[in-house]
Amino acid sequence: MKLPLRLSVSALPRDTRDTLFLLAVIAWVALMQLPHIPWWCSALTAVVLVWRAVLTLRGRPLPGWRWRVGLLLVTLAATWWTHKTLLGRDAGVTLIVVLLALKTLELRARRDAFVVFFLGFFTLLTHFFYSQSLLTAAGILVALLGLLTAVVNAHMPVGHPPLRQTAGIAARMALLGAPIMLVAFMLFPRLSPLWGVPGDGMDGRSGLSGKMRVGQIAELVLDDRIALRVRFDGQIPPQRELYFRGPVLTDFDGIEWKPLRSAFPPHMELQADLAFAGDPIRYEVTMEPNHRPWVFVLEAASQAPELQGMRAFMTPDLQWFVRRPLTELVRYRAESHTRFRHGPLQPVVALQDQIALPPGFNPRTLAFAQELRREHGSGPQSAPALIEAALTHLRTGGYTYTLDPGVYGQHTADEFWFDRKEGFCEHIASSFVILMRALDIPARIVTGYQGGELNAIDGYWTVRQRDAHAWAEVWLQGQGWVRVDPTGAVAPSRTGSLERLLAPQGAIASALDTLNPTLAQQLRDVWEAVNNGWNQWVLNYTQGRQLDLLKSLGFDSPSWTDLAYVLIGVVVAVSLVGAAWTLWERQQHDPWLRTLARVRRRLARLGVEAGEHATPRELARVASTQLDAPQFTQQLTTGLLRLEALRYAPHSDDTLASLQTLFRQMPWPDRRAPS
Amino acid sequence: MGALRQRLRRWFHERLPRADTLLLTQRNVYILPTRAGWMLAFTLLLLLVGSINYQLNLGYLLTFLLAGSAVVGMHICHGNLLGLSLHLNAPAPVHAGQAALLEIRLGNEQGKARYGIGVGVIDESSQGDTHLAWTDVPARSGARLQVATVARRRGLHPLPALTAVTLFPLGTFRVWTVWRPAAQLMVYPAPEAHPPPLPPGEPQPGFAGSASVQTTGEFDGVRAYRRGDPQKSIVWKKAAQTFAAGRDDLVSRDALSTQRQQLWLDHARCGAPDLEARLSRLTAWVLMAERLGLDYGLRLPGRELPPDQGASHRSRCLEAMALV
Repeated sequence: MKLPLRLSVSALPRDTRDTLFLLAVIAWVALMQLPHIPWWCSALTAVVLVWRAVLTLRGRPLPGWRWRVGLLLVTLAATWWTHKTLLGRDAGVTLIVVLLALKTLELRARRDAFVVFFLGFFTLLTHFFYSQSLLTAAGILVALLGLLTAVVNAHMPVGHPPLRQTAGIAARMALLGAPIMLVAFMLFPRLSPLWGVPGDGMDGRSGLSGKMRVGQIAELVLDDRIALRVRFDGQIPPQRELYFRGPVLTDFDGIEWKPLRSAFPPHMELQADLAFAGDPIRYEVTMEPNHRPWVFVLEAASQAPELQGMRAFMTPDLQWFVRRPLTELVRYRAESHTRFRHGPLQPVVALQDQIALPPGFNPRTLAFAQELRREHGSGPQSAPALIEAALTHLRTGGYTYTLDPGVYGQHTADEFWFDRKEGFCEHIASSFVILMRALDIPARIVTGYQGGELNAIDGYWTVRQRDAHAWAEVWLQGQGWVRVDPTGAVAPSRTGSLERLLAPQGAIASALDTLNPTLAQQLRDVWEAVNNGWNQWVLNYTQGRQLDLLKSLGFDSPSWTDLAYVLIGVVVAVSLVGAAWTLWERQQHDPWLRTLARVRRRLARLGVEAGEHATPRELARVASTQLDAPQFTQQLTTGLLRLEALRYAPHSDDTLASLQTLFRQMPWPDRRAPS
Repeated sequence: MGALRQRLRRWFHERLPRADTLLLTQRNVYILPTRAGWMLAFTLLLLLVGSINYQLNLGYLLTFLLAGSAVVGMHICHGNLLGLSLHLNAPAPVHAGQAALLEIRLGNEQGKARYGIGVGVIDESSQGDTHLAWTDVPARSGARLQVATVARRRGLHPLPALTAVTLFPLGTFRVWTVWRPAAQLMVYPAPEAHPPPLPPGEPQPGFAGSASVQTTGEFDGVRAYRRGDPQKSIVWKKAAQTFAAGRDDLVSRDALSTQRQQLWLDHARCGAPDLEARLSRLTAWVLMAERLGLDYGLRLPGRELPPDQGASHRSRCLEAMALV
């Protein structure tokens, strides 16, 4: 049998149409998960859904339980193979998508349909693990309406209601439910997580990883995702001074840089010893989830950033932390100084950590250091000259900044200094710090973000993942730690101006660029402003905002219990209004009686006196004898008898509404003049 | 537990007034969540916990939108029955063991359509699952439904309680009403499946003494129509057959035999052991005699219906037997 090429949805039998519609909605739900599930999961889901659709179209029976159990076992095995676990978030998402598809293979009773619906609703939530953007929200809304439409379909047992009608009912429910959603969203107390959030699947999702492995990456793919949005209270500082400090890497094993794990006892460890000069810069940061406990601030923050419900603390190397990974969008205010001094001014023992180099790596760099020392002398007083010499070498030695330096070997610094002479900031910073340490100058790598750009639409300063940067800090006697950005020496444009090495653009983007170079930028600015509004008002609606709302409602010192009171108050108020409405409606009695009473009242105004419980027939009789308008009473009698028939005759062609119109349009005589 | 529940239900049903027209209001429409409703509540709880644990503001939005839709769905479900009027047309009499058809008119005076309304008979003996007939009721219009109830015993019985149910639109709530119609159902005795032939006629009191004429059961005293025969004595059934065959000769009952012989269906002489069996046989005979177009009289304990025929006579006889 061949499937019809063009399916006319309205021509399909009702059950077939409803099943196909549900399958389409499930396909949409699964499609949105496509980037986050393994390939076999997408393939299996697609095959099962198509299979189910073909069975429906051909009217074949559903496969037996052996098929379902077999597929389930295959899924479990494949999930184990992919994720090495059946628990946890990513494995859970993979499983739930396949289960949703498999459940459609046993859509027999209504209960099965409900299981599919509710699994579907739950699957929708899992999308938000990966993205909470405006686009995701729109996609989820479509899916939610689709699922609701499918539920409504299942509860209209009669006839062949068009999909547009059932979708309209679902949309109306969602629309009327929206105020409830808004009130609950605004007032439902934001609790802290009930148990620890599993941190699986977070690696490589942030622009910074907290470690640095030089030379492993042959090509840096620039990531346009936004890392931070910053709004400065006053003037925006020069772009070249915008260093957002992240993890500081001190320990080097020849291959990988890691944060310091000092062997010294706590009282001997390096202290921050921070001192500031000048006026602070005040700003507000909205940080996208980085799934790390890092709080990025402009170097260097003088006060702990105010995060909702969390206390940030600072490490001796000036990095700010909170106690758990930030899996949600957070916003915080901070105060920073661009003029500051930190670290000990005189040599301390703990600085030993900062000049350690693993033996057996980069012999040529060590020899180069000897050469420089012969030239410029050694000892603490010659350190500035040595640093300047190294930077001059970078500037004049033919070094270039590139995004695809290729894979480096074991002696990464040697290769950079002498062979390839090209790399990106990681290579440059790493090689520079190794050289410094070879010169006995304490040095370390700082990672974070540098630069950013202004969105002209909403005035936010946008920092992207591609602005991730690595620079160096060297310790000088009498000055403490001093920032040195060797990448700036190689490629001055990398820091300090808008020009960047851009990744190759797609065809559409380049076509747009040739058409109107600023249009693409403008479009992007508008889109990001919209997104930022979404972030500010929806994603970052935190307990702080809730309490602000209560404050504006007149609470002096609101707490989350007040939120609960307000929520309960709203529910009680709405219930009272509902109860009042019910009471009012109950007095409206039976519409038929109401119609009769209306006619009776109108007749009473004309002077016709009939008892309160007069039947239509009785009313007609009384009116005919008391009124002197034979034509009118004739019509009235007909109308009243039809009213009677409507209620008591086995068959009546009238409806109450038509009779009401009839009574309204009768030629009622003028009020009888008092005799 | 089951017995207690059944007693509770009976007590509850007996409190309800009987009426042939029922307007559904707040007072007689009930609502409770279904199993699917509890499942949805559980899903919402899971969604909420997920949103809290992963701090997903969009998850909160999804949860509350779904919850809001469910609340609106509850109202729609309740409003789907509220304001509907139910009217029962008086049911036609049936024989015991037959299904009585109840025709129910659903009236919707309001400007909104109502979907997926099921009407059924509440079976007192079963635990619930009532067989429902489903319909939609368009705005400012009506719909008709037929449900059947099996009459088990003869007599004049009150109708069993009816129910109208809706699950529309989400199936998470069940909105229903219980309605006890005032109309009563006349249940005639069940006719005997294979009754013996009709009894012989009895001599009329005026013709006492003349020899009784043996009939073979087929009470066949007919002759060709003679001018002057009263219309009543014409065998119209046979006339219809002859008309259909293209002839126009009529047949009259033999005045002699009908005058001399009267067919009496007597409970005491019908040859069945007990009252129910006798009534059953008499019912079969009444139907048979009516089919043959004969006059027949009925003698029941304490009651006697003189010979006659026709639909109303038959109903009278059957009713009398139903109420013995």
